[in-house]
Amino acid sequence: MLRCGMVMLVLLILLIVLIFISCAVGSAGYSVVEIVKALFSKEDSIIKVTVMYLRLPRIFMAVLVGPALAASGCLLQAVMRNPLADPGTIGVSAGAGTAAITILLIFPNLSMSLPLFAFAGAALACVLIYTLAWKGGIDPVRIILSGVAINSVLGGYNSMLQLLNSDNLSGVLAFMNGSISGVSWGHVRIAAVYTFIGLFFAFMCIRPANALQLGDEMAKNLGIRVNLSRVCLSAVSAFLAAATVSVVGMIGFVGLLVPHIARMLVGSDYKVMLPTSILLSSCVLLAADTIGRTIVPGLEIPVGVVMSVIGGPFFLYMLRKRGKFNAG
Amino acid sequence: MQVNCNHLQVGYGDTVIINDMTITIDKKQITSIIGPNGSGKSTVLKAATRLLNYQKGEVIINGRDIRKYKSKELSRYIGVLAQKHSAPADFRVKELVSYGRMPHLKPLSSFSKEDYEIIDKVMKTTGVWHLRDKSIYECSGGETQRVWIATVLAQDPEILFLDEPTTYLDVAHQLEVMQLVKNLNKNTGVGIVMVLHDLGQALEVSDKIIVIKDGKKYSEGTPEEVITPKMLKEVYNVDADVISIAGREKPVIIYKELA
Repeated sequence: MLRCGMVMLVLLILLIVLIFISCAVGSAGYSVVEIVKALFSKEDSIIKVTVMYLRLPRIFMAVLVGPALAASGCLLQAVMRNPLADPGTIGVSAGAGTAAITILLIFPNLSMSLPLFAFAGAALACVLIYTLAWKGGIDPVRIILSGVAINSVLGGYNSMLQLLNSDNLSGVLAFMNGSISGVSWGHVRIAAVYTFIGLFFAFMCIRPANALQLGDEMAKNLGIRVNLSRVCLSAVSAFLAAATVSVVGMIGFVGLLVPHIARMLVGSDYKVMLPTSILLSSCVLLAADTIGRTIVPGLEIPVGVVMSVIGGPFFLYMLRKRGKFNAG
Repeated sequence: MQVNCNHLQVGYGDTVIINDMTITIDKKQITSIIGPNGSGKSTVLKAATRLLNYQKGEVIINGRDIRKYKSKELSRYIGVLAQKHSAPADFRVKELVSYGRMPHLKPLSSFSKEDYEIIDKVMKTTGVWHLRDKSIYECSGGETQRVWIATVLAQDPEILFLDEPTTYLDVAHQLEVMQLVKNLNKNTGVGIVMVLHDLGQALEVSDKIIVIKDGKKYSEGTPEEVITPKMLKEVYNVDADVISIAGREKPVIIYKELA
């Protein structure tokens, strides 16, 4: 328990440091003293406008979106009893992608309501996969397999639409490579509402999630209704991921990477693993976004791209070091 | 407390695995279910504990239909240790055992002083107290099995169901688990129902044995009544003698020499 407390304290400090760094760096660099002075002054200096309306909303977005994706991944890994499960497994990404591509390429006049359609697409794909996998109960392997099938069908449809409209893909590409550039406080408010509702329910799922880790028969023996728990956990997870995707597009790898690192740091008990994942994912996403907008001056690399490019090798490194990181 | 299975039928689709099974299990006794591979022993155990649905018949626990129990309520009467179970390798022994208190927890509440006392007590009775701060990963096969028994014992059940609790263990650990089961029954009065492969063990520890062949009950009774050369021939198709040896309370099975 002491170790978990330490890990969370360190992550919290790291997050605060990252927030300050992210405020300070960018196309125009400021010192922390300058920023604090500007924020507390009455006049609208350039520093104040930049930090207040460009950088801070973006920072808050990263800090909110990360936990939603990570918590979604955590819950799905319990549902599937499989460390490879992430929001993509249950079709959330492909469903949202299909809806978004359809709207952007075929019904561009509906683009204003894109988040709504993306959310509906994600939810539909998820319901479809669970309906197909249902056979007197939920078998994780069947969910994963029908997920693979649905993902491949939707992926094919997405590729076809893109091929037929290859001259008009900028909007689609922005969506597919999840980016949090140019978000306003309005977006942040929406994301905050979704995330807090989702995380509240995620915390309510800790007990069944833990019991499912002991195997179906042990969970049943302990009085857990296994099928009902799987449906509830999946619903919360799908809600968190779908809400996120609909606001900022697809950001891969967070839902997979962060729960793993959290497991290595504090162990598999969801009571500590979930909060650790939440803090860690805020740090990871904020770091990735800050790197994305500063590493090449004058060019924005979407946070989704940074996550994949840096996250992949880092994940491999963690796996190699696992012996040391295993919570003993 | 009694568990009555009446005319139980279990199967998947059109395949019937258990047919017209009527058995009675008494609290405070050790009951063993034996039978050849594929005879349906584990299936009976699962159907009687609601891990598996049955198609016909009924299971009555404490005079009440098992389907009328709320999941958590049932978990306070019976504890089931199935063959398949796993825990994340980093779970500590005392952490895993504490999951046995889950059926007694109210939503959103955490363990009370009494819960912790029960957790400590079952770890001591099953002999895993000295392992309490170790992770499951560090425990041997025999130790792990005792930790799991402690977990279901923490449910404070009236009857404990164990599915082949000695499989995969070497003979020393098998005997250790059998001794533990016998002590638990004698000292705490918890009823034990287990599926066993080893007929010698069944003969030695059981108050009552139920023999299952091809999904039907072949016979039931005290070990001496049930374990006979005739049963061994008809159910297992092996030639054997059951003989008494001076100085041993229970008879032993001597199998025919191999050619």
